[in-house]
Amino acid sequence: MKTVDIIERIEGEAKLHLNWKNGTVHDAHIAFLNFRGFEFMLEGKSALDALVYTPRICGICGQAHLYATVNALEDIYKNAGIALEVTPKAKSLRELGLIVEIIQSHIKWFYFFIMPDINKNSTYFDERFIPLKGAAWLKAQEASSSIIKALAVFAGQWPHTSYMIPGGVVSDPTSMDMIFVENYLDKAITFFEQNVSGVDLHEYLSFSKSENISDISKDLKIFIQMSFEQKLEKIGQSYDRFFVISDDLGFVKGKIKHKNSSKFEMSKIHENSDFTFDLKTNKQKKEKYTWAKSVKYDNLFYETGPLARALVQNRKFIKAIHKEYEDSVFTRVLARIDEMAFLLHKAKDIVQTIRLSEDSFIKPKTDLKMIEEGFGIGVIEATRGSLKHDVTLHNGIIQRYEVITPTVWNLGPGNALEYGIAQKAIIGSKSVDEATIILRSFDVCSVCTTH
Amino acid sequence: MRSKPTLVWLQALTCNGNTQSLLSSNHTRFEQFLLAFDIIYHPSLTNTITLKEVVSSNSEIDFLLVEGAITSQTHFFSLSDMSVKTILQTLAQRASYIISVGSCAVFGGIHAKFEQNNDIQGVEKSLEHITPKSNHKIIHLTGCPVHPEWILQTLFTLKAKGVIQLDLHNRPVELYSHLAHHGCTRNEYFEWKVEAHDFGLKEGCLFYDQGCRGPMTHSSCNKILWNDVSSKTRVGMPCIGCTEFDFPRDNLFETKKNIGIPAEVPLGISKRAYLSITGVAKTFKIERLNKKIIDENS
Repeated sequence: MKTVDIIERIEGEAKLHLNWKNGTVHDAHIAFLNFRGFEFMLEGKSALDALVYTPRICGICGQAHLYATVNALEDIYKNAGIALEVTPKAKSLRELGLIVEIIQSHIKWFYFFIMPDINKNSTYFDERFIPLKGAAWLKAQEASSSIIKALAVFAGQWPHTSYMIPGGVVSDPTSMDMIFVENYLDKAITFFEQNVSGVDLHEYLSFSKSENISDISKDLKIFIQMSFEQKLEKIGQSYDRFFVISDDLGFVKGKIKHKNSSKFEMSKIHENSDFTFDLKTNKQKKEKYTWAKSVKYDNLFYETGPLARALVQNRKFIKAIHKEYEDSVFTRVLARIDEMAFLLHKAKDIVQTIRLSEDSFIKPKTDLKMIEEGFGIGVIEATRGSLKHDVTLHNGIIQRYEVITPTVWNLGPGNALEYGIAQKAIIGSKSVDEATIILRSFDVCSVCTTH
Repeated sequence: MRSKPTLVWLQALTCNGNTQSLLSSNHTRFEQFLLAFDIIYHPSLTNTITLKEVVSSNSEIDFLLVEGAITSQTHFFSLSDMSVKTILQTLAQRASYIISVGSCAVFGGIHAKFEQNNDIQGVEKSLEHITPKSNHKIIHLTGCPVHPEWILQTLFTLKAKGVIQLDLHNRPVELYSHLAHHGCTRNEYFEWKVEAHDFGLKEGCLFYDQGCRGPMTHSSCNKILWNDVSSKTRVGMPCIGCTEFDFPRDNLFETKKNIGIPAEVPLGISKRAYLSITGVAKTFKIERLNKKIIDENS
């Protein structure tokens, strides 16, 4: 038997093709049918204009794309042997902006995207999680729009500011601006303590055993109850391989394979488009079924995102949860929420150590137009995982721009030898609802997947 | 109009930035919005009805809001097995008011730059003479993204009065008569022609070197502040003119100049008037405007 379902509420939609045998999914294809061609748009544009284009790849994680673009353009200077100075202050403001964006996204994802589905399938149905009406849903809108102010005060606006630029940032916040940032971080911490976990942030961050889940109350406790009811701790396992591409924001770059952590080489990351549609309609081959490409490291698929980050940097609570519940839906969701706590703490740290007397921006010694042939790679950890931009310039004009998004790592199509990460996780599902929750646990962003 | 008018939101070729902007509304305002309007379908938010069901239903839609550019090319873009153009045309026939939310929906915006897809257009062109049932012109909210208040004030005005005054490009007059320049905290530097020496400074105007389009761009970005707190130009990012129909222009971070003079002068000001004032202003060296506003080391 075959089924085809359209999955909505994933920042766009996807088509889930499932093949069933004896009531179990034994083959799964995820098709992303929306293509907007950002890599093609960027060809022929001036290098700095990419700072305006790439955030518009995605309305919810635009600052990660901005950061990746800045890193790639700065890498071009480095590769050309031109010294470029970015002050710790500018780096802090970049990191702070991206952290705020990740936190607002995690809040929205939990309350707007995954909880409504888990709630709908539960016998503990709680009307507080009903979209647009429930008290918890409304509180999440308040919390996500509030934390964003901590970014807007030095970035001007969100979404779609381009406040990062090669050489630093465009803004020069005052001491009071930074107090304002801290006030809104504190407000988010209160939200995490009073609405999400019911635990003081520092106590939460000291959790180290899987039994600590019984110390959690509030909305996260409801999620935990519903998870065990729906056996979300037993479904959604993939290869248990993890990848983190950058150590900015307090993360640690590296990979995990067979439970062993190690470093990686950038040159072993390869994109593939065997199953990806071509631009020209008359050239389609039968095996092509999605606009998503796939990406592998050293010829293997790796999962990226908050769970990967928690494991690679050895955060004890998630490590313990993972030991007990593997890379299940439950673990993946909990890792995302756990990351909110980690990042709120990190953001406070940045605010308290930033030195405002440093320069925000130090003009690069040469214009990118003066570099005849330039090539740069920019990597960063975005909300959903590892993000990589590759840029080739000729006299400051973009010749080629390649983007590998986190969702390509997690949701790209597999090949004859191996399923993709999400495909593998879905195989074995007993119902479409189950497969959908598994898919959702990766925090699917359709617009990023295909860009 | 119903006491709680119905609203359907369609996402076409978009980054969903306008949805994210709407969700970033001031919380009080967002609650007022939810109380005043009945959101039947929003692809990121509602979970009671599918897009297919919305399209095949016969129910009337008071407000159809469209985010993103439109294409008929299903090879590049399809939603629920339909082209977005078909979806738009079907929904539009049941809609009393149509609001294009964001520059992509109005005229294609950044998405129209993907030229390998030769059919990317704004909502109005894609509707091919289908008009809203109220006979009200299609309302254009330009911006990349649109400020959430622009959406809410447009909706609340239409709910209260049934009509909203529009400019020549069918944008609400009250939201788009001002220029991004109005209310910018760097205005005094513009008056006295003191340029920002670089990025990353509190001082100086970004019009002369950094490419700021504030004096030529219709928007209320510095009147209705973003996220209630600031704006791009206030913090030091040049206005990129995202509410105008030539967005995105090329070389957004530099001012095009001829013999040291900005190639474009503020809207409605003759070059002669601009040059005369500039010449006079530049003869004065104003100490206050040429030093740091705040000394962080003191």
